[in-house]
Amino acid sequence: MKWWQIRKRDADLERELQSDLELEEEEQRANGLSAEEARHAARRAFGNTTLIREHIHESWGWAPVERLLQDVRYAMRQLWRSPGFSIVAMMTLALGIGATTAIFTLVYDVMLRPLPFARPDRLVTIEEKVAEWSNLYPTLPVSANHFTFWQQHNRTFDSMAVMQQYSVPLGASGRALQVEALSATPGIFSVLQVQPELGRGFTADEAQRGHEHVAILTYDLWREQFGGDPGILGKTISLNGFPYSVIGVMPQSFHMPSIQTMDTFGTTNRPLPIGILVPLTFSKERLAEEMGDLNYFGLARLKAGISVAAANAELNALQHTIAANLPADEKATLSAEITPFQEKLVGNNRKALMILLAAVVGLLLVGCVNVTNLLLSRAVGQKRQMAVAAALGASRAELVRMATRETAALAVLGGGLGVLLAAVIVPSMQRYLPPALNFRGPLHLDWAGVGCALLLAVLATLAAGAAPAFMVSRTAPQEVLHSDSRLTSESLGSRRARRVLVATEAGVSVALVLMTGLLIASLVKLMAVDRGFTTERTITATVVLPSESYHDDQHRAAFYREVLERIGELPGVEHAAFTSVLPLTGDGWGDFARVAGDSRPVTQLPLESFRSISPQYFSAIGLRLTVGEMFGESDWGKNLALVSEKTAKSLWPGKDPLGQQFSRGNPATEKPFIVVGVVSDARTVSLAKPDPMLIYVPYWYRVEPMAGLVVRTHQNPSEMADVIRQTIWSVDRGVPVPTVRALGGMVADSVANQRFEMDLLLLFAASALFLAGLGVYGVLTYSLAQRYREMGLRLALGAQRANVYWLVLRDGLLPVAMGAIAGIAVAFGSARMVSSLLFEVSPYDPVLSAGAVGMLLAVGTIACLLPARRAAAVEPMQALRTE
Amino acid sequence: MSTIAPFESRISSMAKQTQKCAAVLQGTLDMLILRTLLYGPAHGHQIGKHIQRTTNDFLQMQHGSLYPALHRLERQGWVISKWDTAPDRNREFKYYRLTEKGRKQLVVEESQWKQMAEAVARVMWPATEES
Repeated sequence: MKWWQIRKRDADLERELQSDLELEEEEQRANGLSAEEARHAARRAFGNTTLIREHIHESWGWAPVERLLQDVRYAMRQLWRSPGFSIVAMMTLALGIGATTAIFTLVYDVMLRPLPFARPDRLVTIEEKVAEWSNLYPTLPVSANHFTFWQQHNRTFDSMAVMQQYSVPLGASGRALQVEALSATPGIFSVLQVQPELGRGFTADEAQRGHEHVAILTYDLWREQFGGDPGILGKTISLNGFPYSVIGVMPQSFHMPSIQTMDTFGTTNRPLPIGILVPLTFSKERLAEEMGDLNYFGLARLKAGISVAAANAELNALQHTIAANLPADEKATLSAEITPFQEKLVGNNRKALMILLAAVVGLLLVGCVNVTNLLLSRAVGQKRQMAVAAALGASRAELVRMATRETAALAVLGGGLGVLLAAVIVPSMQRYLPPALNFRGPLHLDWAGVGCALLLAVLATLAAGAAPAFMVSRTAPQEVLHSDSRLTSESLGSRRARRVLVATEAGVSVALVLMTGLLIASLVKLMAVDRGFTTERTITATVVLPSESYHDDQHRAAFYREVLERIGELPGVEHAAFTSVLPLTGDGWGDFARVAGDSRPVTQLPLESFRSISPQYFSAIGLRLTVGEMFGESDWGKNLALVSEKTAKSLWPGKDPLGQQFSRGNPATEKPFIVVGVVSDARTVSLAKPDPMLIYVPYWYRVEPMAGLVVRTHQNPSEMADVIRQTIWSVDRGVPVPTVRALGGMVADSVANQRFEMDLLLLFAASALFLAGLGVYGVLTYSLAQRYREMGLRLALGAQRANVYWLVLRDGLLPVAMGAIAGIAVAFGSARMVSSLLFEVSPYDPVLSAGAVGMLLAVGTIACLLPARRAAAVEPMQALRTE
Repeated sequence: MSTIAPFESRISSMAKQTQKCAAVLQGTLDMLILRTLLYGPAHGHQIGKHIQRTTNDFLQMQHGSLYPALHRLERQGWVISKWDTAPDRNREFKYYRLTEKGRKQLVVEESQWKQMAEAVARVMWPATEES
């Protein structure tokens, strides 16, 4: 029988019993009994018809389902009867479960979801380590020379590849589109174990100079830009101004994370997805460079059964061989570091995510504690009901079932709402994914998340329902039934349990509040730190010059010069300048300055960050010159340089840096630079730390195809965006201008992640505080209702209203204070984990810790005042008379 | 805790008794119902009355076991039920009818009962067996 037929069957059964009962009645009447006697006799003969029906129901085999439905109906009725309690409890659970599920989904997506490649656990990244430079660069990208050596001699790797990612203009001049290109050696296809869906991968021949003008499109780019043209193979596209022949299209499932090497580090906060693959080739000179050109991202696939440690050991041995054969002037200590690909991509986001997860779990815990408290109060109220059930023979298991069905219904409703909430929140968290991991397409709530929510709902039921169920199952009916209902008061055990619960809430809340306070203080300090440059009325733009039409420095320099002239003539423009690296977008190009007379090997030389800039750069971003002066257009062609204070101090300690000379590389062949000025130290690489040694050279010395434009105006910079684009395009319509942004916006973007963490924590902490307050209020209100007569008695015996106030406050705040101390202890205990996320704030900051405790106590006091006022307002006569 | 004990023990001992009774009755009750239906379709009341009358009121029919037994038999497919008007009254009753499967089951139960009765008889009255 199907269970939906039960109702029909039951009606049928009732009719059957009824008709037979009537028949019995008739027969009894025929025996000479009166109508009433006959009815009674028939009923006696039949016995308990309800029991008969129940027995028959059992025989239908759906009794457990029926019992469950009955429980559900009962629970819903109970909840419906006290809507205030139900809504508060349900919303608390929904909020906790929803928020936890959303954060878990984010964590899962970033840290646990396997990368979309075959056997992703075998994929590792390779980095080089040079002991001499480790203070500045703990690890470095791979050099082509070393990579070739590894490729020939390793035994532990299935395959390996090196690659670089950069932006290139795609399409004919006039309507060029900016795309991200991945330039990789042919090994990439076997490393990732993926082949183009259409066409083929790169051949070894195409990895040679002169044959590299072939391209493979990703599925999305093929659909969007080429309309999914099935005859795309063999067609020619214009990339960087050069003709490239399309030889393949990747499958739709292929998504490649953005990779970062020194050049691209931090160039954009949100890079575009990779759209095109081209072969990476090396010139003979590149391949011969034994200690330079550390520029490539190394990716490899380990052979089956080979551990990361074993592969690392082999690679270190190979590095040792390379180091032993280095020429004397390039002596260096080499090693390598292998990291699982996913771990590398997650990078330092791990800690922040873990803290968010811990915080949201804390919030859920506080929510559960609150619901437990509410349920406990109700359980006490239902004591008599339970006692009657127990006296009538309900087993302990049945009592527990009765006590938990409400909790279970709450958890199901709360969990369901929580899932809905998470489904709404999750997509909006996409923009907070670390850029490297934001390549898999839209973030949405999936089965992992829903599974997490269900698990949480079950755990919440167990956690919140356990205490009331335990209390109920220990109900001794005669005690409850005999005792005078007016005198029943909460048992000592239950009161202690409530205090522990309130203390837990207080502890978790205070830890959350302290954590949030620390992060807010960090962010405030970070934003207020002396950056050394100004952002007011300053707008930036990036340009990418196609390498075909701008194949040498002269052409590029001419373009920049022309653009600067035209922008300088615009009304409202104060200063305009080009720079190879915009503030807060990375390190730029690292190189060694050899001071005249220094003959140490290259590896012993100090490493500096170089930038090529145009004359008005410092005035445009408000960076101060401390000594000397800036070069001008009239110095065109001269090798002049400005250095930062730090550089000046380390290269020429105790000397006047002005007029000093240094060279890059070989002083015999290179014209030396003359220092004409010193620039104050600033924070242009990252707000969190002072810049490394910086050297500024003129843009005519080295002109890069990608540059940033900085324009300081008299006007609101946002109004300038279009004018600046048009001015650049008036020089050449074919130059893409991918971004135009206010400098202030870039500063804000550089702390976007911290801000996101802070916002979420603030939300969690505020919710936890609110819930803790609600918890204190609930517990006090309940316990005072129980002690109504006691209060009346105290007042009758001469207690002052103030004494009652004090009594209630002490009762309410004691557990809060204990919890706060425990919370601070927990927070201090995990300080080491937190400190790396902080900026110039100690995790033990006394003011913030005291503030967190103070805030909690304030919330606690507010929560106590209302019940306290009610207690003090008790009329003694009335309280004592109430029976 | 102490005062709940009498309740508990009384209830559990009652439960044990009824369970024992039902277990003994169950097998034979099914057989008796099937046998009664061999005469033709009948409703619950008729079946109960018939068994009671045939045994000279020795077997008091419990409605509490009769109806569950009928529904159990129906679930097994040994009887089928149908609402029908009684010939002598202007009212509908739920009539149970023996199915082919039920007839076979009756034969099986009957032989099992016979074996059982003979076995019990051999133990109880060994002399009669010798003679």
